[in-house]
Formats: sequence, C-alpha cells, structure tokens
Amino acid sequence: MDVFSSLMDGFATALTPMNFLYAVIGVVLGTAVGVLPGLGPAMTVALLLPVTYALEPTSAFIMFAGIYYGGMYGGSTTSILLNTPGESSSVVTAIEGNKMAKAGRAAQALATAAIGSFVAGTIGTTLLAVCAPIVVQFAVSLGSPSYFAIMVLALLAVTAVLGSSRLRGFAALGLGLAIGLVGMDSVTGQQRLTFGMPLLADGLDIVVVAVAIFAVGEALWVAAHLRRTPLHVIPVGRPWMGKQDWKRSWKPWLRGTAFGFPFGALPAGGAEIPTFLSYVTEKRLSKHPEEFGHGAIEGVAGPEAANNAAAAGTLTPMLALGLPTNATAAVMLAAFTSYGIQPGPQLFASQGPLVWALIASLFIGNLLLLIINLPLAPLWAKLLQLPRPYLYAGILFFATLGAYSVNLQAFDLVILLVLGALGFMMRRFGLPVLPLILGVILGPRLEGQLRKTLQLSAGNPAGLWSEPIAVGIYVIVAVILLWPLLMRLWRKARPGRRPLLPANSGAADYSD
Amino acid sequence: MSSSPTLASRLKGRSELGVALLLGAAGVMVFLDANGLATPYSKSDPVGPRTVPFIVAGLLVVCAVLLAVNVLRGGKGEAEGGEDVDLAHPADWKTVLPLVGAFIANILLIDWAGWVISGTVLFWGSVWALGGRHYVRDGLISLALSILTFYGFFLGLGIALPAGLLEGIL
Amino acid sequence: MHQSVLLTSLTKNFTEKRNTMRQIRALRIAAVAAGIALMATGCGATGKSSTSGSSSAAAGPVTGLQILVPNTPGGGYDTTARAAAKVLDDEKIATNTEVFNLAGAGGTVGLARVVNEKGNGDLTMLMGLGVVGASYTNKSASKLTDTTPLAKLIEEPGAIMVSKDSPYKTIDDLVKAWKADPGSIAVGGGSSPGGPDHLLPMQLAGAVGIDATKVNFVSYDGGGDLLPAILGNKLGFAASGAGEYLKQIESGEVRVLATSGAERLDGVDAPTLKESNIDLVFTNWRGIVAPPGISDADKATLIAALEKMHGTEAWKETLKTHSWTDAFVTGDEFKTFLTEQDKRVADVLTKLGLA
Repeated sequence: MDVFSSLMDGFATALTPMNFLYAVIGVVLGTAVGVLPGLGPAMTVALLLPVTYALEPTSAFIMFAGIYYGGMYGGSTTSILLNTPGESSSVVTAIEGNKMAKAGRAAQALATAAIGSFVAGTIGTTLLAVCAPIVVQFAVSLGSPSYFAIMVLALLAVTAVLGSSRLRGFAALGLGLAIGLVGMDSVTGQQRLTFGMPLLADGLDIVVVAVAIFAVGEALWVAAHLRRTPLHVIPVGRPWMGKQDWKRSWKPWLRGTAFGFPFGALPAGGAEIPTFLSYVTEKRLSKHPEEFGHGAIEGVAGPEAANNAAAAGTLTPMLALGLPTNATAAVMLAAFTSYGIQPGPQLFASQGPLVWALIASLFIGNLLLLIINLPLAPLWAKLLQLPRPYLYAGILFFATLGAYSVNLQAFDLVILLVLGALGFMMRRFGLPVLPLILGVILGPRLEGQLRKTLQLSAGNPAGLWSEPIAVGIYVIVAVILLWPLLMRLWRKARPGRRPLLPANSGAADYSD
Repeated sequence: MSSSPTLASRLKGRSELGVALLLGAAGVMVFLDANGLATPYSKSDPVGPRTVPFIVAGLLVVCAVLLAVNVLRGGKGEAEGGEDVDLAHPADWKTVLPLVGAFIANILLIDWAGWVISGTVLFWGSVWALGGRHYVRDGLISLALSILTFYGFFLGLGIALPAGLLEGIL
Repeated sequence: MHQSVLLTSLTKNFTEKRNTMRQIRALRIAAVAAGIALMATGCGATGKSSTSGSSSAAAGPVTGLQILVPNTPGGGYDTTARAAAKVLDDEKIATNTEVFNLAGAGGTVGLARVVNEKGNGDLTMLMGLGVVGASYTNKSASKLTDTTPLAKLIEEPGAIMVSKDSPYKTIDDLVKAWKADPGSIAVGGGSSPGGPDHLLPMQLAGAVGIDATKVNFVSYDGGGDLLPAILGNKLGFAASGAGEYLKQIESGEVRVLATSGAERLDGVDAPTLKESNIDLVFTNWRGIVAPPGISDADKATLIAALEKMHGTEAWKETLKTHSWTDAFVTGDEFKTFLTEQDKRVADVLTKLGLA
C-alpha cells in the first residue's frame, strides 16, 4: 500500500544516526520539561526554535515531536510520584496515581501510565497516518453548539465525582467556578474578579491552580501533621505490574485512547476533558469502584492513555489542515512556516518525505519513551523513599521553579501560596479537590461556548441544537439523567431481572 | 455548668464554620464584582457578562448556608489522611509557619537577590521547617540545587532566572 | 521534648534506610560534580559586557541590547523580535542581543515595565497595534504614547474573509446585508475585544455607517481557533490578517472579499477597501519602542542600528519567508503614526464603552 511504503521510507529517514540522536534529545528534554509544572512542551519548542534554525527541517521536527510526546510522559511521572501535575492533562492522573504511590504501588502506577501512553500514542499516530483527512473533515464540522453540548455532558459527569459528601463537593465546584471566572470576559472585554490587578487580567492558569492545590496544599498539610514516629515502612512491593493489574488496565487503555484522540483533533477539544471523561467512565465501569479515591489502577490507565492519544490527535489537523488546536501545535506550525513549509491539504503531496519522517519519528519517540520510562519506574519509585523533609522541600522547590519560569513574575508565586493555603483548608475540612479543578477547567468553557453559540445564531436559542452532534449529545445527557427513572420502569415491567448497573453506581450516593 | 448550650460552647470545635464563612464571603465577592459590570444590551448576547457570575455566587452562598446548617447539626468533613500524616494531634503550626515563611522569603527575595539565593533560602528553610537538622549539609544541597537549576534553565532553555545580587559573578 | 523525639526518630530512620541514603548520597555528589562542571562552562553567563550601550553610530556593534516581547514565546511579536535579533547579530550590527518575554494582560505588563525603566538606553520593546488596544481595555496606567518610538518594522493588512459556501460574493454584497441587519451577521476575529481583529470590523462598521455598538463580534482564540469557524461557514464573515490563511485562500476554501491595506495584497485576488469605495486603510503593524527619557545619543544609535538592519539582504529574506510587508518608518514619523493610531483606537473603544 502506498501509505505503508511511504511510512517505511519515513522510518529509513528517521532512523539515521543524526535524526535518531535528535529524537533522543527531544524525548529526554520533553520528559524533563514535562516534569516541571508550568513549563510545557509549547514553551520549550518556542524557546528552541531559534536554536534549530541551523538544522535540517526534518531533524528539527523530529526533535519537536520527541519534546511533545516526552512532555506528556514527564507530566505523568510527577503527577503520580509527587502529586505535582506537570501538565494540565496530567491533573486527573494525580488523583489515583498519587494514592497508588502512597500505598507503595508507585511502580505499577508508572508502568500502567507508560504502557497506556505507549498504546495510545501508537494507535493515535497510526490513525493520524492513515485517516487524517477524514478525521479533520469531521473535526471542522463541529461548532460552538456541539462544544457546548460536550461541556454540559462533562458537567454532568462532575456529579459522579463529588465524593462522599455531595454538599462539600458542590462547594468545591463553586470555588472552582469562581476561580475560573477571574480574568477578561471574552464577549464584552470587561475584567471580572481582577480587583484592578493587571496580572490577573489573563486569568489563573490551570496548571498553577492544580500545582498550588495539589502540591503546595499537600506540603502544607503534611507539615501540619508530619508523622514524627516512623511508621513501619510500607514495602515498595513488586516492581512490575501483576496479572491483575494488566487485566484491569488494558480496557481502560483502549477506552482512554477512544476518548483522547477525537478530543485532541477537535479544535476546541483540549486534552483535559478526555482525561476527565475517561476517569468518570472507568469509575462507572469498574468492578472495584470503591477503590477510586484510594488508588484504583483504572483511574491511571484510562486518563494516561487519553492524554497521549489527544497529543497524537492534536497533530492531525495541524498537519492535514494547518490548523493548530493547542499551544504546542501552534508553535510547531510557526516552526513549519519559518522553514517555508505550509501545512495543509497539499502538505502530504508536496513535502511527503518530511511528513512521513515526522510520523515515523512519532512512533520511534513513543517507543523510546516506553523504553526509558518502564524500566526506570521502580527507580523513580525509590524517590518516594527520600526522607520527608527533603521530599516535600523538593516538591515546593520545583513547584516554585516551574510556576515562576513561565512568566518570570513573583506574582505567580503569590498565587501559588494563596491557593496552596486553600488546598490546605480543603484537606483539613474534607472538601474534595477534583470538583474544584473541574470547575476551573469547565466553567470558562461552558460560559464561552454558550455565549458564542448564541452570538452565532444572533441570540436565537434554537442555535443550541442546530448541529447534529449537539443534538446527539443532549440525547445522551437526557438518558443519563433519566437513567434511574428508566431503570425503575424497566424493572417494573420485567420483575425478577437483575439490575443492569452495579448496585454501587454513582447515582446511589447520598450525602450525609 | 449551664444547662442550655451557649453560643460559645456551640461554636467551640466547629472550626468548619470558617469554611462556610469563606464560601459565603466568596459568593458575596463574586456577586458584588459582577454587579459592577456594564451590560450593554445586545440581542446576540442575551446571557451577558453577569449571568454566570450571579449563578456561581448563588451556588456559593447556598452551599455556605447549607454547610453551616450541616456543621451545627453535627456533620463533619473528613480530614485527609495519608502515610505521612498523623491526625491524632492538632495542626502543628510550629512547622507550617516556618514553611510558609520560607516560601514567602523566596517570593520577596527572588527578583532582588536572585534565584540562586532565594531558591537556597526556600529549600533550606523548608527542610529545616520540616525537621531536617543537618544544617551544613542541607545548606550545601540547597545551594547546589539552586545553582544547577539556574544554569540548567539558562543553558538548556534560554530562560534567564534572575541573577539578582550575583549578577556578573555567575 | 519534641526535639529529642525527633532526633531519635530521625536516627532510627537513617539506620533503617542506610542503603537508600548511600544511593541518594552518591547521586547528590554526582549532581554537585555535574553542577560544578556546568558552572565552569556557564561562568560569566550573566555578566553584561557594557552597561550603557551607547557609542556613536560609527563605532562597533551595539552591545547589551535587550528586546522585550510582551507576549508568550511563539506568538507574533515573539517571532518578529527573534527574527530581528537574529539579523542584527548575524550581520554584526549588534552582539549578544537578548530577547526575553514578559507576557500578560495583552502586552500591558511589558508596556508598564518599559515605561518604568526611564532612561535605560539598552532596553527596547517590540509591540504592535494589539498593545495599543490592550492599553485601553486593561485600563493600563502606562500608555504607548509615553514611550520613545524608534521604528515601525512591518505591517499586515487585514482581510475580510468568508467561507467558500458563503452567499456573499463581493464586499458590496456583504456591506448591503450587514447594513440591513447588523445584529444578525456574526463577525469573527482572532483577538479579544480591543485587539486588531476586533478593531478592523469596528472601524469598517464606522466607515460604512453602521453603529459600532450594534456589531455582533465573536472573539476567537487566535487564528487556529478562527479557521474552523470560517471553513465550516459558521460566521457571517471573519476579519483577520490573511497571512495565516494563505494556503486556504489559495485552495479556495476561504474567499477574501477585500483587504484593508493601501494596496492590494500579493497573491490574493481581492480589491482593497479603498478600491471598493470604502474609506478605510487599516493595518496590523509591529514596531519597536524604547523607554521614555533616553538620551538623544542612545536614540540615534538604536535608530541607526535598525536602519542598518532594514537595509540588509538578510532582513529582506526574513520578510519574504514570513510574508511580512515592509513598512519601515523611523523616529518622528513613527511617533506621529503612533499618536494617530492611539487616538483612532481610543475613539472606537470609547464608543463601545471599553476604554
């Protein structure tokens, strides 16, 4: 097949010693940068652009691709080990991943993240290579009404993760929504909740919020209650994934990929929402839902696959249409332009060898990352055995460094501290963290897409269901909302049948 | 001992009411801020810039009230446990405050004295606050970390962390 | 008492974890050694070779020059600044030019910083029309008119674009429909209110007699976010720079109804607004300014350097690669231009209640 032979040629180019070296550099650099919160692949690629002007375009792009994928892997590592999400798409991983690490299962968490990322990355890259034009056509047909519908679905899913006390979950959600409001209103251009401070005009970055609440909040909390008498050290346990772990991971890997790739390809999709949807889905479908919140491996496998699939998905419209769907893609697009290459429908035809070499290097980068991360997982896990003072001082140090380096402004550190104090308070009084983070992510998008939809339809509410996808999603939302009612009717009609949903599904939670 | 519970005794031990207070204050703040916004009437933007803030403010205030009721009736949010956390004792402010102090010191020093110095203060202070007592060794580690990251960022990424007082020496 | 418990527990910890500690100690020593090695290579990294940067134009290259980019790396201003720095350094007009970012509030954080560094002859800022608008919508205390204008570098005319499936075939069709019911036509742009893509349709509305407050502007997050909306025919029309969409224009996916420059845009088959009897010339320009209060000698040095850069082949190549239109104007001429632009923007935004 033509695609296959082009791909083989691409591998030949990508595997030359020089290009392979660049792939390795990219992957290592990407991982290092992904580990640091705040600094991300987008900024790294942007900063390295001038340096790469001297290089061949092929080599430069191979390195960028390595940085991009590496960033995803690196973000997961710190999420799991240190509860310090390196990327916004690794925030959900921290929820279950860190709990697993604390229970002595860090190596398994890292392994499932690495393998899941590899599976998702490979499948995603294959989809990119094979059906880019179709994916892109679909992606472009979606408009604000559909995006709003997706956000509504995501909001509904939040109700599944409110935790044991619904009231406190909603309170956290409210706080998250309030934090998301800070900044400029996109329609009228007015400042909201900025109190005259220009540095707040752009809003609060989700990674800074997540790092503050997760990492800084935890450091403060541990400081307040540091265990003085040594607990008997929980053994690190077996360094590899057990049979149970594999069995419980492989389906979340695939489902996560299914969530991540489309969202990555969608212009307004982003990588955070699919990780969250994956998490909620895994919780619903899991045979061990009670483990969620205490270290359920599905909660790491799914979201991790989702974020790497999203990374591959993002490259699809970028290459096929010249349409960047996130900051990293935008910078890579700028890189293409500075080399005089215009991505778009003609790219595959006019720059075939470059594109196929790039795709081949994505596969290679993915494999390299797996090789680097998997055997090193038990070693990384040993990091957790550092004496507590050094571990938490280190967390604070790197959180500070990452947050500061984005803008080089001390103000970001003030935000880190204030929100860290909030995280402390939330841990003290049992307010769940996930709804807050979701409020920060979903709030602005819900509002933005709703108002944009109405603007596009000149104020006519019918605009909300003017796209087929939007209608379809609202149907799903209705079904989910009415599910308990439907179940009761079903059971009345057919007495004696077993219920379809496990008894402890989220719908049965009651607050105290 | 009085037989009827006084307000003071009812409030004792209900520090969680502070959370309700915070939620309420946040709700009021969001409401007042949104109230000050101009809403040019526009047929195509019926929602306007105030609607969502009002909804959020409402949510916060409602949660504040319900939470207060919940706490006064005896409900309790569960404090987060963990391997490193020992909940048997009340919060150890003697540890938290120096830690916060180290963090604030870094914020104040970073632009003026430079990252190398402020990062050292941050790490060293944090380790000390959390119980490390090998002062010299901790100090050296802090310094090494700060210098390493300073050069790493500059040489690797071209991000120039502030050199502050050490400008020209580094 | 608390301390002795601590000490004994720490000792116990160390006894139990001796092996791990050894590993960690070894790692630490390695790290310190690497650090020393790095230090040796990096020593002198922060030393600035000169602090005043002022030498007569005839003397050697300009040293210690800094270009502040008020946006994040990878953005438009950043690309221009780094391209300029590269040409300056490569052509030995300057040495060790440092480009750094100070993003925030649409560029006004960078603006405030520059205005605060009175008299600093080494610092310059690359900015553009977007910063002018932002200084009003963000109620910034510092205004661009406070700075010392050095030179305008490039400009890009805007384009009025529709999808190939749109009913509007010419700019007249569009204006007719727009005047009939402004609220029903959604205008998309890649900037937030106050930005260049917002200013263009607002000024266009003014030029054709539509009340700016009736314009239904939908803001998108940059060109990448705007493109799907154009392609999917979700908008009435879009107003943005054509540079990001050249491929789509070439392939016919995107139709340009008119461009807003003084002359037609190369490679785009569309009339200018002036040709279509609409009295408006609008460009999204970028230029370099310096802090207020710099000495005349410094100002002359910097302008001379920029003039030299503009004359080089390398700069002409750069313009071509990025499809930037040359619009070089220095000193007082640029100052007049800036003042006029500032006033124009202030007028539009005040009418909308944003200034």
